[in-house]
Amino acid sequence: MNGRREQESGRDPSQPLPPGEGWTFLSYMIGGMILYGFVGWLAARWTGWPVLFPVGMLLGLASGIALIIFRVTRS
Amino acid sequence: MSDVSVMTTASGCHIFSGCGYPAPSIADFYFKPIFTVGGIPITKPVVLAVLAGAIILIFFYVAFRKPKLVPRGTQNLGELGVLFVRDQILRQQLGRKGDKYLPFIVAIFFFVWIMNVFSLIPLIQFPATSKIAFPAGLALVVWVTYITIGMRTKGPIGYFKQMAVPEGAPWWILPLLSPVELFSNILVRPFTLAIRLFANMLSGHLLLLVFGLASWYLLSLSIGLLFAATSFLLTIILTGLEVLITALQAFIFATLTSFYIADATETSH
Repeated sequence: MNGRREQESGRDPSQPLPPGEGWTFLSYMIGGMILYGFVGWLAARWTGWPVLFPVGMLLGLASGIALIIFRVTRS
Repeated sequence: MSDVSVMTTASGCHIFSGCGYPAPSIADFYFKPIFTVGGIPITKPVVLAVLAGAIILIFFYVAFRKPKLVPRGTQNLGELGVLFVRDQILRQQLGRKGDKYLPFIVAIFFFVWIMNVFSLIPLIQFPATSKIAFPAGLALVVWVTYITIGMRTKGPIGYFKQMAVPEGAPWWILPLLSPVELFSNILVRPFTLAIRLFANMLSGHLLLLVFGLASWYLLSLSIGLLFAATSFLLTIILTGLEVLITALQAFIFATLTSFYIADATETSH
Protein backbone atom coordinates (compact mmCIF):
# COMPACT_ATOMS: atom_id res chain seq x y z
CA MET A 1 0.00 0.00 0.00
CA ASN A 2 2.36 2.71 -1.14
CA GLY A 3 -0.40 5.03 -2.23
CA ARG A 4 -0.63 6.59 -5.62
CA ARG A 5 2.19 9.08 -5.12
CA GLU A 6 4.82 6.48 -5.95
CA GLN A 7 3.60 6.30 -9.52
CA GLU A 8 4.06 9.89 -10.57
CA SER A 9 4.71 9.17 -14.21
CA GLY A 10 1.72 7.32 -15.50
CA ARG A 11 -0.39 4.64 -13.95
CA ASP A 12 0.64 1.05 -13.59
CA PRO A 13 -2.22 -0.80 -15.29
CA SER A 14 -1.77 -3.82 -13.02
CA GLN A 15 -2.57 -1.68 -9.96
CA PRO A 16 -6.18 -0.87 -9.08
CA LEU A 17 -7.26 2.75 -9.35
CA PRO A 18 -6.90 4.63 -6.08
CA PRO A 19 -10.12 5.05 -4.09
CA GLY A 20 -11.57 8.46 -4.74
CA GLU A 21 -10.91 8.13 -8.44
CA GLY A 22 -14.37 6.61 -8.88
CA TRP A 23 -15.97 9.68 -7.32
CA THR A 24 -14.02 11.83 -9.76
CA PHE A 25 -15.60 9.92 -12.63
CA LEU A 26 -19.03 10.53 -11.17
CA SER A 27 -18.28 14.21 -10.79
CA TYR A 28 -17.12 14.44 -14.43
CA MET A 29 -20.37 12.92 -15.67
CA ILE A 30 -22.58 15.03 -13.40
CA GLY A 31 -20.52 18.14 -14.14
CA GLY A 32 -20.61 17.61 -17.89
CA MET A 33 -24.34 17.01 -17.94
CA ILE A 34 -25.18 19.98 -15.73
CA LEU A 35 -22.83 22.38 -17.51
CA TYR A 36 -23.66 21.57 -21.13
CA GLY A 37 -27.25 20.79 -20.22
CA PHE A 38 -27.53 24.33 -18.88
CA VAL A 39 -25.83 25.77 -21.96
CA GLY A 40 -28.17 23.72 -24.15
CA TRP A 41 -31.19 24.88 -22.18
CA LEU A 42 -30.16 28.52 -22.58
CA ALA A 43 -29.55 27.99 -26.28
CA ALA A 44 -32.95 26.29 -26.59
CA ARG A 45 -34.66 29.26 -24.97
CA TRP A 46 -32.89 31.80 -27.15
CA THR A 47 -33.30 30.02 -30.45
CA GLY A 48 -36.69 28.45 -29.79
CA TRP A 49 -35.40 24.97 -30.67
CA PRO A 50 -36.18 22.80 -27.66
CA VAL A 51 -34.08 19.96 -29.10
CA LEU A 52 -30.93 21.85 -28.14
CA PHE A 53 -31.49 21.02 -24.45
CA PRO A 54 -31.14 17.22 -24.79
CA VAL A 55 -28.39 17.76 -27.35
CA GLY A 56 -26.50 19.81 -24.75
CA MET A 57 -26.99 17.14 -22.09
CA LEU A 58 -25.75 14.42 -24.44
CA LEU A 59 -22.75 16.54 -25.35
CA GLY A 60 -22.02 17.04 -21.65
CA LEU A 61 -22.30 13.33 -20.95
CA ALA A 62 -19.99 12.59 -23.89
CA SER A 63 -17.46 15.15 -22.59
CA GLY A 64 -17.60 13.60 -19.15
CA ILE A 65 -16.99 10.12 -20.55
CA ALA A 66 -14.18 11.47 -22.76
CA LEU A 67 -12.54 13.00 -19.68
CA ILE A 68 -12.79 9.67 -17.85
CA ILE A 69 -11.20 7.86 -20.78
CA PHE A 70 -8.32 10.34 -20.98
CA ARG A 71 -7.80 10.12 -17.23
CA VAL A 72 -7.73 6.34 -17.13
CA THR A 73 -5.59 5.83 -20.22
CA ARG A 74 -3.06 8.59 -19.53
CA SER A 75 0.47 7.30 -19.87
CA MET B 1 -36.69 12.28 19.66
CA SER B 2 -38.39 14.80 17.44
CA ASP B 3 -41.59 16.62 18.21
CA VAL B 4 -43.72 14.50 15.89
CA SER B 5 -42.60 11.15 17.25
CA VAL B 6 -43.08 12.39 20.82
CA MET B 7 -46.60 13.41 19.86
CA THR B 8 -47.27 10.01 18.27
CA THR B 9 -46.03 7.85 21.10
CA ALA B 10 -47.71 10.06 23.67
CA SER B 11 -51.04 10.04 21.87
CA GLY B 12 -51.29 6.25 21.87
CA CYS B 13 -52.40 6.30 18.26
CA HIS B 14 -52.76 2.71 17.00
CA ILE B 15 -54.07 0.87 13.99
CA PHE B 16 -57.83 0.06 13.94
CA SER B 17 -58.45 2.87 16.40
CA GLY B 18 -59.52 5.24 13.68
CA CYS B 19 -56.38 7.29 13.38
CA GLY B 20 -54.07 7.19 10.39
CA TYR B 21 -50.37 6.38 10.34
CA PRO B 22 -48.50 9.51 11.42
CA ALA B 23 -45.89 9.30 8.69
CA PRO B 24 -42.59 10.94 9.51
CA SER B 25 -41.72 13.84 7.26
CA ILE B 26 -39.15 16.52 6.75
CA ALA B 27 -40.84 18.34 9.63
CA ASP B 28 -39.12 15.82 11.91
CA PHE B 29 -35.83 17.47 11.00
CA TYR B 30 -36.84 20.88 12.31
CA PHE B 31 -36.56 21.62 15.99
CA LYS B 32 -37.80 24.38 18.21
CA PRO B 33 -34.94 26.46 19.61
CA ILE B 34 -33.92 25.23 23.04
CA PHE B 35 -32.61 28.66 24.00
CA THR B 36 -31.12 31.69 22.29
CA VAL B 37 -27.65 33.15 22.60
CA GLY B 38 -27.47 36.78 21.56
CA GLY B 39 -30.46 36.43 19.28
CA ILE B 40 -29.19 33.23 17.66
CA PRO B 41 -31.56 30.33 18.30
CA ILE B 42 -29.79 27.20 19.52
CA THR B 43 -31.50 24.01 18.40
CA LYS B 44 -30.81 20.35 19.05
CA PRO B 45 -28.48 19.84 16.01
CA VAL B 46 -26.34 22.79 17.14
CA VAL B 47 -26.09 21.34 20.64
CA LEU B 48 -25.16 17.96 19.12
CA ALA B 49 -22.42 19.49 16.98
CA VAL B 50 -20.93 21.25 19.99
CA LEU B 51 -21.25 18.03 21.98
CA ALA B 52 -19.43 16.11 19.22
CA GLY B 53 -16.62 18.64 19.30
CA ALA B 54 -16.43 18.43 23.09
CA ILE B 55 -16.38 14.61 23.05
CA ILE B 56 -13.48 14.55 20.59
CA LEU B 57 -11.61 17.25 22.48
CA ILE B 58 -11.95 15.51 25.84
CA PHE B 59 -11.25 12.05 24.44
CA PHE B 60 -8.02 13.01 22.71
CA TYR B 61 -6.95 15.17 25.64
CA VAL B 62 -7.38 12.27 28.03
CA ALA B 63 -5.77 9.86 25.57
CA PHE B 64 -2.63 11.89 24.89
CA ARG B 65 -2.31 13.93 28.07
CA LYS B 66 0.61 11.90 29.35
CA PRO B 67 1.71 9.79 26.39
CA LYS B 68 3.66 6.69 27.30
CA LEU B 69 5.86 4.60 25.08
CA VAL B 70 3.77 1.53 25.76
CA PRO B 71 0.20 2.80 25.39
CA ARG B 72 -2.45 1.68 27.84
CA GLY B 73 -6.15 2.27 28.25
CA THR B 74 -7.48 5.39 26.58
CA GLN B 75 -4.16 6.13 24.91
CA ASN B 76 -4.33 2.73 23.25
CA LEU B 77 -7.78 3.52 21.88
CA GLY B 78 -6.71 6.98 20.74
CA GLU B 79 -3.68 5.61 18.92
CA LEU B 80 -5.85 2.98 17.29
CA GLY B 81 -8.11 5.71 15.92
CA VAL B 82 -5.31 7.97 14.73
CA LEU B 83 -3.39 5.10 13.15
CA PHE B 84 -6.51 3.86 11.40
CA VAL B 85 -7.04 7.28 9.83
CA ARG B 86 -3.36 7.54 8.93
CA ASP B 87 -2.96 4.11 7.35
CA GLN B 88 -6.38 3.44 5.87
CA ILE B 89 -7.34 6.93 4.73
CA LEU B 90 -4.46 9.40 4.52
CA ARG B 91 -1.55 7.28 3.29
CA GLN B 92 -3.74 5.49 0.77
CA GLN B 93 -4.10 8.82 -1.01
CA LEU B 94 -1.07 10.91 -0.11
CA GLY B 95 1.62 8.46 0.85
CA ARG B 96 4.05 9.23 3.66
CA LYS B 97 4.56 12.87 2.74
CA GLY B 98 0.92 13.54 3.53
CA ASP B 99 1.44 13.01 7.24
CA LYS B 100 1.46 16.75 7.86
CA TYR B 101 -2.26 16.78 7.02
CA LEU B 102 -2.98 14.04 9.56
CA PRO B 103 -4.47 16.35 12.26
CA PHE B 104 -6.88 17.83 9.75
CA ILE B 105 -8.06 14.46 8.42
CA VAL B 106 -8.32 12.96 11.93
CA ALA B 107 -10.44 15.91 13.02
CA ILE B 108 -12.68 15.65 9.95
CA PHE B 109 -13.13 11.90 10.29
CA PHE B 110 -13.98 11.86 13.99
CA PHE B 111 -16.17 14.95 13.89
CA VAL B 112 -18.27 13.57 11.04
CA TRP B 113 -18.37 10.11 12.58
CA ILE B 114 -19.51 11.27 16.03
CA MET B 115 -22.15 13.52 14.51
CA ASN B 116 -23.38 10.53 12.45
CA VAL B 117 -23.33 8.15 15.40
CA PHE B 118 -25.71 10.43 17.32
CA SER B 119 -28.30 8.89 15.01
CA LEU B 120 -28.10 5.67 17.02
CA ILE B 121 -27.54 6.81 20.61
CA PRO B 122 -30.73 6.28 22.63
CA LEU B 123 -32.45 9.52 23.71
CA ILE B 124 -30.36 11.54 21.27
CA GLN B 125 -31.29 9.66 18.08
CA PHE B 126 -30.59 12.42 15.64
CA PRO B 127 -27.64 12.71 13.25
CA ALA B 128 -26.52 16.34 13.21
CA THR B 129 -25.14 15.73 9.71
CA SER B 130 -28.68 15.25 8.37
CA LYS B 131 -29.00 19.03 8.50
CA ILE B 132 -27.43 20.33 5.28
CA ALA B 133 -25.71 23.20 7.09
CA PHE B 134 -23.16 20.92 8.80
CA PRO B 135 -22.02 18.92 5.74
CA ALA B 136 -22.04 22.16 3.72
CA GLY B 137 -19.90 23.94 6.28
CA LEU B 138 -17.46 21.02 6.42
CA ALA B 139 -17.32 20.82 2.62
CA LEU B 140 -16.58 24.56 2.49
CA VAL B 141 -13.67 24.09 4.88
CA VAL B 142 -12.36 21.20 2.74
CA TRP B 143 -12.83 23.24 -0.44
CA VAL B 144 -10.92 26.26 0.89
CA THR B 145 -8.21 23.92 2.20
CA TYR B 146 -7.50 22.03 -1.01
CA ILE B 147 -7.64 25.14 -3.18
CA THR B 148 -5.25 26.96 -0.83
CA ILE B 149 -2.88 23.97 -0.80
CA GLY B 150 -3.03 23.73 -4.59
CA MET B 151 -2.26 27.41 -5.05
CA ARG B 152 0.59 27.28 -2.57
CA THR B 153 2.26 24.28 -4.18
CA LYS B 154 1.83 25.29 -7.81
CA GLY B 155 1.03 28.98 -7.79
CA PRO B 156 -2.42 30.30 -8.71
CA ILE B 157 -1.83 30.06 -12.48
CA GLY B 158 -0.24 26.63 -12.39
CA TYR B 159 -3.02 25.27 -10.23
CA PHE B 160 -5.68 26.82 -12.42
CA LYS B 161 -4.02 25.27 -15.46
CA GLN B 162 -4.01 21.86 -13.79
CA MET B 163 -7.68 22.15 -12.93
CA ALA B 164 -8.65 23.31 -16.42
CA VAL B 165 -6.50 21.15 -18.68
CA PRO B 166 -7.18 17.41 -18.53
CA GLU B 167 -3.98 15.47 -19.03
CA GLY B 168 -3.73 13.18 -22.03
CA ALA B 169 -6.42 14.91 -24.05
CA PRO B 170 -5.51 16.11 -27.57
CA TRP B 171 -5.42 19.92 -27.88
CA TRP B 172 -8.30 20.24 -30.33
CA ILE B 173 -10.82 18.79 -27.89
CA LEU B 174 -9.78 21.07 -25.01
CA PRO B 175 -12.34 23.84 -25.73
CA LEU B 176 -15.03 21.22 -25.15
CA LEU B 177 -13.50 19.41 -22.19
CA SER B 178 -11.84 22.23 -20.22
CA PRO B 179 -15.11 23.78 -19.01
CA VAL B 180 -16.28 20.38 -17.76
CA GLU B 181 -12.98 19.70 -16.00
CA LEU B 182 -13.01 23.13 -14.37
CA PHE B 183 -16.67 22.88 -13.41
CA SER B 184 -16.19 19.41 -11.99
CA ASN B 185 -13.10 20.35 -9.99
CA ILE B 186 -14.32 23.64 -8.58
CA LEU B 187 -18.08 23.31 -8.16
CA VAL B 188 -19.21 19.69 -8.37
CA ARG B 189 -16.65 18.41 -5.87
CA PRO B 190 -17.72 20.43 -2.81
CA PHE B 191 -21.40 20.02 -3.66
CA THR B 192 -21.26 16.24 -4.03
CA LEU B 193 -19.11 16.01 -0.91
CA ALA B 194 -21.75 17.82 1.16
CA ILE B 195 -24.82 16.27 -0.45
CA ARG B 196 -23.54 12.68 -0.26
CA LEU B 197 -23.14 12.90 3.51
CA PHE B 198 -26.32 14.90 4.07
CA ALA B 199 -28.57 12.69 1.91
CA ASN B 200 -27.25 9.45 3.39
CA MET B 201 -27.82 10.57 6.96
CA LEU B 202 -31.22 12.11 6.21
CA SER B 203 -32.54 9.02 4.46
CA GLY B 204 -31.11 6.72 7.12
CA HIS B 205 -32.77 8.66 9.91
CA LEU B 206 -36.05 8.81 7.99
CA LEU B 207 -35.99 5.03 7.43
CA LEU B 208 -35.50 4.38 11.13
CA LEU B 209 -38.32 6.82 11.91
CA VAL B 210 -40.70 5.14 9.46
CA PHE B 211 -40.23 1.67 10.93
CA GLY B 212 -39.84 2.83 14.53
CA LEU B 213 -43.10 4.74 14.38
CA ALA B 214 -44.81 1.93 12.49
CA SER B 215 -43.94 -0.67 15.12
CA TRP B 216 -45.62 1.53 17.72
CA TYR B 217 -48.56 2.45 15.52
CA LEU B 218 -49.28 -1.14 14.39
CA LEU B 219 -49.18 -2.47 17.93
CA SER B 220 -52.61 -3.76 18.95
CA LEU B 221 -54.16 -7.02 20.14
CA SER B 222 -54.97 -8.25 16.65
CA ILE B 223 -53.17 -9.15 13.43
CA GLY B 224 -51.53 -5.78 13.99
CA LEU B 225 -49.24 -7.49 16.49
CA LEU B 226 -47.65 -9.46 13.65
CA PHE B 227 -47.22 -6.29 11.58
CA ALA B 228 -45.68 -4.53 14.55
CA ALA B 229 -43.26 -7.40 15.16
CA THR B 230 -42.16 -7.35 11.51
CA SER B 231 -41.71 -3.61 11.62
CA PHE B 232 -39.73 -3.86 14.84
CA LEU B 233 -37.48 -6.52 13.31
CA LEU B 234 -36.84 -4.18 10.38
CA THR B 235 -36.03 -1.37 12.80
CA ILE B 236 -33.36 -3.56 14.37
CA ILE B 237 -31.94 -4.66 11.01
CA LEU B 238 -31.88 -1.08 9.74
CA THR B 239 -30.18 0.07 12.93
CA GLY B 240 -27.45 -2.45 12.16
CA LEU B 241 -27.22 -1.03 8.66
CA GLU B 242 -27.01 2.48 10.07
CA VAL B 243 -24.05 1.47 12.27
CA LEU B 244 -22.26 0.59 9.04
CA ILE B 245 -23.44 3.71 7.17
CA THR B 246 -22.38 6.14 9.91
CA ALA B 247 -18.81 4.82 9.82
CA LEU B 248 -18.76 4.45 6.04
CA GLN B 249 -19.91 8.00 5.35
CA ALA B 250 -17.30 9.43 7.72
CA PHE B 251 -14.70 7.22 6.01
CA ILE B 252 -15.74 8.38 2.53
CA PHE B 253 -15.77 12.03 3.61
CA ALA B 254 -12.24 11.78 5.02
CA THR B 255 -11.01 9.70 2.06
CA LEU B 256 -12.30 12.22 -0.44
CA THR B 257 -10.82 15.09 1.55
CA SER B 258 -7.39 13.47 1.39
CA PHE B 259 -7.96 12.62 -2.28
CA TYR B 260 -8.67 16.26 -3.09
CA ILE B 261 -5.58 17.37 -1.15
CA ALA B 262 -3.55 14.72 -3.00
CA ASP B 263 -4.91 15.98 -6.31
CA ALA B 264 -3.91 19.53 -5.38
CA THR B 265 -0.34 18.59 -4.38
CA GLU B 266 0.31 16.06 -7.15
CA THR B 267 3.00 17.32 -9.50
CA SER B 268 2.68 15.40 -12.74
CA HIS B 269 -1.07 15.32 -13.18
